Amino acid sequence: MTLRALGYRMVQALLVALLVGGLTFLMMQALPGDAAFRIAAGRYGYDMVNAAAAAQVRAELGLDGSGWSAFAAWLGDLLRLDFGTSLISGRPVMEEIRHQLGASLQLAGVSLALSLLIGPPLGVIAGLHAGGWLDRGLLVLSAALRAVPQFLMGLILIVTLSIQLGWLPAAGHGRADHLILPALTLALGLAAISARVTRDAMAGVAARPDYAFGRWKGLSERQMLRRHGLRNIGVPLVTFLGLQLVLLIEGVVVVEAIFGWPGIGHALVHAIFGRDVPMVQGTALLLGLGFVLLNALTDLAAHLIDPRGARTP
Amino acid sequence: MSLLLSAENVSVHAGSECLVQPASLALHAGRPLTILGETGSGKSLLAQAIIGTLPSGLTAAGRVQVAGQVFDPGRPSTFRRLWGRQIGILPQEPWLSLDPLMPAAAQVSEGHALVRGLPWDQARAAAAGDLAQLGLAQAGHRRPDQLSGGMAQRAAFAAARAGGARIVIADEPTKGLDAGRRNDISALLLAETAAGGGLLTITHDLALARALSGDLVVVLNGRIVERGPAAQVLADPQHDYTRALIAADPAAWPHPRPRQVAGATVLSASGLSVARGGRVLISGMDIDLRPGHIIGISGPSGCGKSTLGDALLGLVPLAGGTVTRAPGCAAVRFQKLYQDPPSAFPGSVTLGRSLADLVARHRLDKGRIGALLDRLRLSPQLLQRRPSEVSGGELQRMALLRVLLLDPVFLFADEPTSRLDLITQAQVTRLMVDVARDTGMGLLIVSHDTDLLTKVCDRVIRLDDPAQTRAA
Amino acid sequence: MTMSDTTLMPVARHGFGRLRWIGLVLLTLVVGFALLAPVLTFTDPLQQDLMKALAGPDAAAPFGYDHLGRSLMARLAAALRLSLSIAAASVLTAGIVGVGLGVLSAWRGGWIDRTLCLLADSVLALPGLLMVLIVTAIVADRPLAFWIGLTLVLWIEYFRLTRATVARQLAAPGVQASRLLGFGPGYVFRRHLWPDLAPVLLTVAAFGAGTAIMTIAALGFVSVGMRPPAPELGLMMVELLPYYREAPLALFQPVIAIFLTILALNLLAQGGRR
Repeated sequence: MTLRALGYRMVQALLVALLVGGLTFLMMQALPGDAAFRIAAGRYGYDMVNAAAAAQVRAELGLDGSGWSAFAAWLGDLLRLDFGTSLISGRPVMEEIRHQLGASLQLAGVSLALSLLIGPPLGVIAGLHAGGWLDRGLLVLSAALRAVPQFLMGLILIVTLSIQLGWLPAAGHGRADHLILPALTLALGLAAISARVTRDAMAGVAARPDYAFGRWKGLSERQMLRRHGLRNIGVPLVTFLGLQLVLLIEGVVVVEAIFGWPGIGHALVHAIFGRDVPMVQGTALLLGLGFVLLNALTDLAAHLIDPRGARTP
Repeated sequence: MSLLLSAENVSVHAGSECLVQPASLALHAGRPLTILGETGSGKSLLAQAIIGTLPSGLTAAGRVQVAGQVFDPGRPSTFRRLWGRQIGILPQEPWLSLDPLMPAAAQVSEGHALVRGLPWDQARAAAAGDLAQLGLAQAGHRRPDQLSGGMAQRAAFAAARAGGARIVIADEPTKGLDAGRRNDISALLLAETAAGGGLLTITHDLALARALSGDLVVVLNGRIVERGPAAQVLADPQHDYTRALIAADPAAWPHPRPRQVAGATVLSASGLSVARGGRVLISGMDIDLRPGHIIGISGPSGCGKSTLGDALLGLVPLAGGTVTRAPGCAAVRFQKLYQDPPSAFPGSVTLGRSLADLVARHRLDKGRIGALLDRLRLSPQLLQRRPSEVSGGELQRMALLRVLLLDPVFLFADEPTSRLDLITQAQVTRLMVDVARDTGMGLLIVSHDTDLLTKVCDRVIRLDDPAQTRAA
Repeated sequence: MTMSDTTLMPVARHGFGRLRWIGLVLLTLVVGFALLAPVLTFTDPLQQDLMKALAGPDAAAPFGYDHLGRSLMARLAAALRLSLSIAAASVLTAGIVGVGLGVLSAWRGGWIDRTLCLLADSVLALPGLLMVLIVTAIVADRPLAFWIGLTLVLWIEYFRLTRATVARQLAAPGVQASRLLGFGPGYVFRRHLWPDLAPVLLTVAAFGAGTAIMTIAALGFVSVGMRPPAPELGLMMVELLPYYREAPLALFQPVIAIFLTILALNLLAQGGRR
């Protein structure tokens, strides 16, 4: 079963690469006529640009080639992970990404850890007392939080904690306190969702006949939670959170752009803005494959918790 | 004979509505007590009130005494310290009541360790001993999904009692199990009373009540209508309801007179093989069904009996052999009745709308609906309701009405009464069989209840193990 | 950015709960404001008057003026109209595509089903925001790019839930019984599949519209969405942020507008939660 799932993820990864390749190829085809000139200007400065530089850029991009052969060559490069060089900085795409990946992973990791500290514990308590005051309060809070898009959460935190109270810097990178606002922005949204998912899973497990039977056997609530509750909410939790990780990846894009955090997302937005096709390709592929990898890990974790056969996620 | 548990004037209410009238029970060591009743009779609610497991929203009143201590059913939380220690509760459908992710042995040993307070190594040894005694020595490391229904039942029995409980409460212990397992279950439960423990069983199953013997209480509409020693009550029932219940048991039905069936074959199969999931379940089966002919197929669950019926209707592919239908009969004259009546109707429209759809589709005579309603003793008002608002027995008769509109020559009834109570089952079966005889419809009934089939069928085919069939 | 919030989608319940009614009323108010504001006071949302920069409310601009002296009410209403129409269009096209493919997948099964599922899973792996971003780089016209990009993102949830719901119904005895009784696929869809599907689709549509509105605003906020001077909620926020100290109420307006819209859609969607 695990091997099959692995095979499926491999095919999925391949298809993701094809999708990214196709979309970026279209993006390249849609570049306006003077794109080569504009990109060359971006790279060398308007004073230095000349016909030769523009022609070199055009050749590099394959703007003069066309049709299926160009697309095939394009995909071939992609599958060999040969993205070429950034059209804007002129440095190899792989090198740029390696720089940014560290910053993004740091932000994502801290946010995820923070959200897991807040969300699931609250969800477990609310789920065990479904319908109680904490449960209802959490429902309202989580509904309100989920109506606040991540960029808006960022804006609210900047306005309150940075502009109004002056406690934290709004943007920047390097000092530890630069991390707090973007991480909090991401973590609050994720916590709202993981609390909700945990709450539903816990309430579902607690209402099952096997949970009632555990009580009838004479076990206390604490013993039930420890021996039967946590393990049984593990599967839906891991499966749901695996899907929700795409939120984290998306959140990283928006939040980095807002707070000027020099990671993959920041780079992606800049690359789109500057029509830096190789960079778009590299970052998009990394984000897509990252998601597939996280899903594969989720499958594995769910299988370790619950070794029974087929499950519907 | 010492008194283990007594309940005085225990009643159950939902708001101001009384679901169980004040009732008193006494459970003695070594003498089983059985509460017998149909779905919705309040038998489970009464038992739940006595052990403090009522669902929230229901309130109970009265007085319960266990091991010299007095409890108030109005405060269910006070019962909790009895659970596992004094009272072992065997849940309905135990395969759903074991933790699906934990091996069976661990679910037993935690009772010994956490409830009785044994050190873990002794608890594990005690659990292994319990399981070995129940014939599960080799199954302790398996998860519930790797156990058969009967094995899960025994594992749950061990788990329920691991905390040291001497009183066993068994709620519908035969529900969802094949009739063949009934003897195993009564033996399992009786072993406890033989050792001086207490046993309170809640069931709708007359045969189980008879096997358990001891005292019997019959419940109808939230009231105890009859009580006494089981043997006496079942042999000489005093209350009308108890009499009707006993008469509705297929074992008590009269034997059919042998009949000659005549007429051209409506459906025949030769050398039929049926497979499911790549496994051949039935092979080399021959069937010849004539007008008004009733064939029964019985066997344990998973033997392929329902798949056989579907294969005859062409709903699943054949693994081998041929099925021949009478020439000149429209395809819609080969019909099926389903085990779960509500799922066989569109849930979003009224029954009248469903029938009107059918009439319009085949340009039938609408007037026949009224006559069929009379024939099947159904109220015309039911046509205004949706499937979820009609009882199972009425809905199954409505399903019969629906197929009768198409003048079927063949009807496959797939466990048509297994979800119905005894009295309803008798009524639906009687109507179905009469209609088949009157209209000359060939009928194939699939059921796990061999008693029922032998009383109504011209021929019964018993399927034992997959791939092993013999005609009776 | 809760692009994939819809994957949290629970099974919808029949009936229309209290939360759904609150959501519906809230949404009607937002849509009503967006449509009626220009009728009440007709002001061009692009017309500048620097003399009135950050000025308070008057008859022509009941919500006051922004940093370029444009009527905030006119801009807010125009921004909501833009977001709501793109969201409605995307939800509609995604719904048609997703439901169609979902029914096809569940009904036909086999390789069609496997291929479509693999495709959906692979598209799901690309963050929706990224998809929309790339399409904006391919298609020059922004509203059109949003419509195409969001449709490409949103069809998946329709597909997955339609497929699951229809497959469950098709395996149930009801559909088999109807086919045996001589009814065709049209009847099966109308009587068995659609009644089960409709409440699910309402939930998916409401979540999808929320996703669309958040995406448009988020991209506007990080300057890769609609371009100035177009009135758009995210763009308005980023334009008004530097003037927060002078005119905090001006910044609050687009913030409140997007919060209420998303809350209304979430309530409409979540009312169907178990």
